[in-house]
Amino acid sequence: MSDTASPHGKGVRERLQHWLPKLVLSPSCVLILFFVYGFIAWTSYISFSDSGMMPDYAWAGLRQWSRLWSSWTWGIALHNIWVFGLLYIVSCTVLGLLLAILLDQRIRAEGALRTIYLYPMALSFIVTGTAWQWFLNPGLGLEKTMHDLGWESFSFNWLIDANMAIYTVVIAAVWQATGFVMAMFLAGLRGIDGEMIKAAQIDGAPAWKIYARIIIPQLRPVFLSAIVVLAHLAIKSFDLIVAMTGGGPGNATAVPATFMYSYAFSRNEMGIAAASAVFMLAVIAALIIPYLYSELREPRS
Amino acid sequence: MSFLHIHHVHKRFGETHVLKGVDIEIEKGDFLVLVGPSGCGKSTLLNMIAGLDSISEGELRLDGQRINELHPSKRDIAMVFQSYALYPSMTVAGNIGFGLEMRKVPRAGRRAAIQRVAELLQIENLLKRKPAQLSGGQRQRVAMGRALVRDPQLFLFDEPLSNLDAKLRVDMRTEIKQLHQRLGTTIVYVTHDQIEAMTLATRIAVMRAGELQQLGTPQSVYDDPNNLFVAGFMGSPSMNLVPARIAEKAGALVALIETEKATLALPIVRDRQALTDWCDKAVMLGLRPEAITDPASANRDGGEIFEADLEVDLVEPTGADLYVVTRLGGTNVNARMRPGSPPQSGTQTRFAFDVSRMVAFDPDSEARIRDRASVGSAPLASSA
Ligand SMILES: Nc1ncnc2c1ncn2[C@@H]1O[C@H](COP(=O)(O)OP(=O)(O)OP(=O)(O)O)[C@@H](O)[C@H]1O
Ligand SMILES: [Mg+2]
Repeated sequence: MSDTASPHGKGVRERLQHWLPKLVLSPSCVLILFFVYGFIAWTSYISFSDSGMMPDYAWAGLRQWSRLWSSWTWGIALHNIWVFGLLYIVSCTVLGLLLAILLDQRIRAEGALRTIYLYPMALSFIVTGTAWQWFLNPGLGLEKTMHDLGWESFSFNWLIDANMAIYTVVIAAVWQATGFVMAMFLAGLRGIDGEMIKAAQIDGAPAWKIYARIIIPQLRPVFLSAIVVLAHLAIKSFDLIVAMTGGGPGNATAVPATFMYSYAFSRNEMGIAAASAVFMLAVIAALIIPYLYSELREPRS
Repeated sequence: MSFLHIHHVHKRFGETHVLKGVDIEIEKGDFLVLVGPSGCGKSTLLNMIAGLDSISEGELRLDGQRINELHPSKRDIAMVFQSYALYPSMTVAGNIGFGLEMRKVPRAGRRAAIQRVAELLQIENLLKRKPAQLSGGQRQRVAMGRALVRDPQLFLFDEPLSNLDAKLRVDMRTEIKQLHQRLGTTIVYVTHDQIEAMTLATRIAVMRAGELQQLGTPQSVYDDPNNLFVAGFMGSPSMNLVPARIAEKAGALVALIETEKATLALPIVRDRQALTDWCDKAVMLGLRPEAITDPASANRDGGEIFEADLEVDLVEPTGADLYVVTRLGGTNVNARMRPGSPPQSGTQTRFAFDVSRMVAFDPDSEARIRDRASVGSAPLASSA
């Protein structure tokens, strides 16, 4: 650009450069404000209303909230999400870390194995749920195969056992997410300074102590990320349960997400459904917001 | 019997032959510095001594005992790494004490040892901090503390100062030297900084491309280099290397050097026997900048001085010294003069050559041409 450009022209261009990004971003900004935050506000309002099948804007105070907390099914759903979430997070983290440590021993087929373990993450929950539903269905899958092979006494009917069905969901969910957690840990392991491991060897630490005392403590940020990702996946786990058990047998595998769906769309209790949705949002927000806050701040400190 | 004996050691990584038969022996209390350009295999050799890399061929002996197959933790050595390799999740005290803890030293003994080392390195006030809260120089001290606390037979240092800024590097260099003198430890130290090598070492091993070029005291490596590579690598500014011809003039052996105006005939006093065979042949002469001076600062007691008038090309003052550049045999030559009254560039001035310090090399094989008697250090059996 030359210095002789007219001050007027320069001003227009500068102003355009200043405003252009804002102009381009503003439609998506408006859309997100409306469709995400707008509906969050709307749902929150509905949870304080008398809505049944259709929205009803009459203020009802905490009525829907107290009905939610006295609901028997909601109790089951909370218990299930607690069991499911805990088992899911702990199993995925432990298995993912173990697999990552095994893969980190510089074995030959590492590339292929990594892909194999990571692949389930590429499937949608619906596919995973359906596949495992077939596989664990006593009339179709594992049990029938064993019977066909001549092992008549073999029995594995957790899927239709009200006390055990939630664990089949855990198995399927762990199968899907473990590879992803493994990849996270593997990346963390690869980032560790090789000289530090050499120093520990010279210091006389056996391999397991090197992992326990030096490597794993350094993976703390990976643990945090993995747990936050898994926790919010667990709370959002809707499609997997719908595809595998449909919340059944009975209400045995109901979780807050399936509870919310059935109250909103089949039981015509929009108010309770909204209250449960807001509750789930609050739990996820309590997990994610501090995490995002710490993650986004860290590089600057 | 030598304390550390590296005997015909080879290292191969698959096809690549990284170390090609290295032989080094040092005594207890020696400070051996391995120098050489990047990629010549210094770290590899150090890792092999530590037991972190296997030995493809050859033998390592420490205090008379073969250690080839010994696990790193059983060799009674400690190592300081270039990246310091501190354990970030432990405090400074935890870092220093980790090796003792792994060796099942009880807590009280550990604490006393940590305290002793912390006092020695003046890091007592840092013991409760994590490595992330330390400066580069402090981390360096902690890394040294971790090595010192175990009181090993042998210390290995892999470029421990290369991550420090220039000033701190000089300070730490002095401290390492003082520690060595005070504790009398045996040290193998890797660097590619030849000033560090000269100042610290009791013995220097110059390496190139996996081969040992010369092993000797710093002074012998500096004054009596085995080949052109060592001559060019050690010293800063580096040795002047000037093409010349050997001739006989009035019954005496001289080296003829072309200059712009005339041919210079420097008398040969060193390696005279060997150079008689080189009569009428081309050689490469090596002269340190401090062996070419103004006549007043020439060393007349020990040396043999030859004076000549030459044209000054360039004058480079550094404060302490004055480097005067002239042209000899078609190359630039640095002379070190007194900074007092610099000659003007473009004028003629008088240069004094200390020919007793002049060395000659075979320009083709790059090997030193020297008398048998004057061999100051074990000659190199070059395989190349
Ligand atoms: N694991 C390995 N596999 C193959 N080649 C290797 C391996 N480790 C080192 N090398 C090669 O060995 C040679 C010597 O490496 P080394 O690290 O010992 O060099 P160095 O002298 O320490 O260099 P620097 O001064 O850069 O540290 C290099 O050419 C390097 O590429
Ligand atoms: Mg190196």
